[in-house]
Amino acid sequence: MHTAFESPCLPSSGTSVKRRVAIWFRTAGLVLALGATAAQAQVATVFACEPEWAALVRVLLPQAKVHVATHARQDPHHIEARPALIAHMRSADLAVCTGAALEAGWLPMLQQRSANRKVQDGQPGMFYAADHVSLIDPKPATLNPFAGDVHPDGNPHLHADPRRIAEAAQALADRMGLLWPAQATEVAARHKDWANRWQRHVERWTHQGRVLNGQKVVAQHTSFGYLWQWLGIEMVADLEPKPGMPPTPGHLDTLRRALLATPPAAIVVVGYQDDRSARWLAQQLQGKVPLVVLPASVDDPSQPEALERWFDRLLSDLIAATGKR
Amino acid sequence: MNTQLKWWPHAAGLVILCSSLSHSALAQQDEAWGIGAVLDVAHTSKALAMGQREKGLQLGHSDISAAGPLGRSLSARFTVATHSHDGKVEAELEEAYVQTRSLPAGLQLRAGRFPSQIGYLNEQHPHADDFVERPLLYRAFLGGHWFDDGVRVNWTAPTPFYLRTGLEVFTGKQLVQEAASSSSPGAIAFSVKTGNDWGTSNSWQLGAAWVRNNREAALHEEDEEGAEGGHDHAHDHAHAHGAMFSGRDMVLLDAAWKWAPDGNNRERQLKVVGEWAKVSGINRYAQSKDVHEASSLMAVWRWSAAWEAGARMDWLKARSPHGDHFHNVRLQERSLMVAYKPTHAQTLRLQYTGQSGAEGVEGAPAKRSLQLHYVLSFGAHGAHSF
Repeated sequence: MHTAFESPCLPSSGTSVKRRVAIWFRTAGLVLALGATAAQAQVATVFACEPEWAALVRVLLPQAKVHVATHARQDPHHIEARPALIAHMRSADLAVCTGAALEAGWLPMLQQRSANRKVQDGQPGMFYAADHVSLIDPKPATLNPFAGDVHPDGNPHLHADPRRIAEAAQALADRMGLLWPAQATEVAARHKDWANRWQRHVERWTHQGRVLNGQKVVAQHTSFGYLWQWLGIEMVADLEPKPGMPPTPGHLDTLRRALLATPPAAIVVVGYQDDRSARWLAQQLQGKVPLVVLPASVDDPSQPEALERWFDRLLSDLIAATGKR
Repeated sequence: MNTQLKWWPHAAGLVILCSSLSHSALAQQDEAWGIGAVLDVAHTSKALAMGQREKGLQLGHSDISAAGPLGRSLSARFTVATHSHDGKVEAELEEAYVQTRSLPAGLQLRAGRFPSQIGYLNEQHPHADDFVERPLLYRAFLGGHWFDDGVRVNWTAPTPFYLRTGLEVFTGKQLVQEAASSSSPGAIAFSVKTGNDWGTSNSWQLGAAWVRNNREAALHEEDEEGAEGGHDHAHDHAHAHGAMFSGRDMVLLDAAWKWAPDGNNRERQLKVVGEWAKVSGINRYAQSKDVHEASSLMAVWRWSAAWEAGARMDWLKARSPHGDHFHNVRLQERSLMVAYKPTHAQTLRLQYTGQSGAEGVEGAPAKRSLQLHYVLSFGAHGAHSF
């Protein structure tokens, strides 16, 4: 051990260049080895189904290696169980997902194919945010195939409500403490710090959003159902004729006729949706109704304050659009 | 309908089941069983040679499926499939298996009746297919899709890309239903799958499999006499699971590439899949030149959330046993389809298929066939594979 700490910069007299190089290599090797051991002991690998949870993981456990399954420009209902995602799931110590059947089309396949026992349902390494918050709009489970993509537990897009994000963050911090007791104190401290700041942001956004209270919007899918509820916005029509069903010409025409009499404050689509139907409708309403394309989630979860900036953007885009009228 | 099961897949299942019973009391109640059903109906203007759908309106591969956890360590799935055949509706147990989900190091065991994981399509439920009929390769060598009674052990490697190896040991009775001679186990399948993403828009998967089949197919009487055409058993083949052309060894390679702008596959996606298989050791009289070979190449383009169109080319070369000698079998198939998927639960598909280059094929090849296909799913059905 001691030889490794011999300073290579102060060679004893008569040391050949060869020997100096050898010492250099030994020192570097030891440092690398120690570093790798320390990293293995500390770095957890986390699989995040959606970027908002990746951002939250980075707040609570910044040293974690995070794999994000989706980005804000993808529809999280319709992800495929790609080989790359199975490989990421295989290496995960913790998987953080929304739940409420949002990922029903792909997550079970990842769990099965990864054969990773840590992230199976019922294990502490499988965290569903929806298990820790109340969901709006639960629907009775139906076998009717014509009812659209019904989520019996309720609307799964809960991340658009910052208060529910806070509830999920609390539960996630607790879960991390359970999984990694050695780091529980640090995680709890980081969470407390974040939660205080987040609370002030929520108050600010709620204050800013008061101008949106009572506004009527038309949206495609209930992706922002929680945002509407939080800000007191009324979603008067859905471009989708049935949940999960792309807009049809007949349905759009019905909407056009109804909305000509009572135009909404805005037509809102999500970044990953095809906005042609919304553009057509906006045009049909004589250009009086602005079209707003909102990002579905945080843009880059590796950036600091990614969640805060996403909510800032949602608020400012909505206020700017509705203020134009 | 063959529900006669050999004892050893059951014994293995029982061992897995018993080993987990002690844990089942701890299981959480938040994991529910999902039950679903699929209705598949097609109208066919002219039945395809070696096809699995008869002329006219017909019930296709429809099923009722239940899947869910058995305690913390296991999951299970049961599927009963029905289809109409000669005006009768036939039912068949297609899946009944238990699978581990608590083994360490990426290991996984499965026992019971289940589809083999060879090839790109075999493990996929037929209702998720992009075309009305399975590729010729599957219809000729695997009875459409090969499920059997047996056990599986899989290992998923802890690599930054996907790498899975697996060994399946089957009775082989669903691959070769009537055997002239056999040894146990009836069939062994070894397979490897690998894949990864390439940027945000591309993903790929490669698979290789080798199947050792220890059941030599029995020759039918007509075959023994060397009669050509007009085989009475052509009908039995129309829907029977089990290979039309079998042999001792099968090698199966598959490759899939998908491209979706920015990874948003719901709105736009190109999918290209190629598969190739070679079967050798047809029977005791076969020489090295007596091999079966089939390949399939398909491309499907989704241009909006509800619309897809695709094309597929299929080639088959086989050696049909007649007593101690073999006759050439040749068939080519070209398919074009367009599909409308208004919701996740419904698919309406129109397909044009042309067969050509037929030689030694049972039943007349369909120069032109139009098929209208409707798939409706009720309730929960399993997540789809890549």
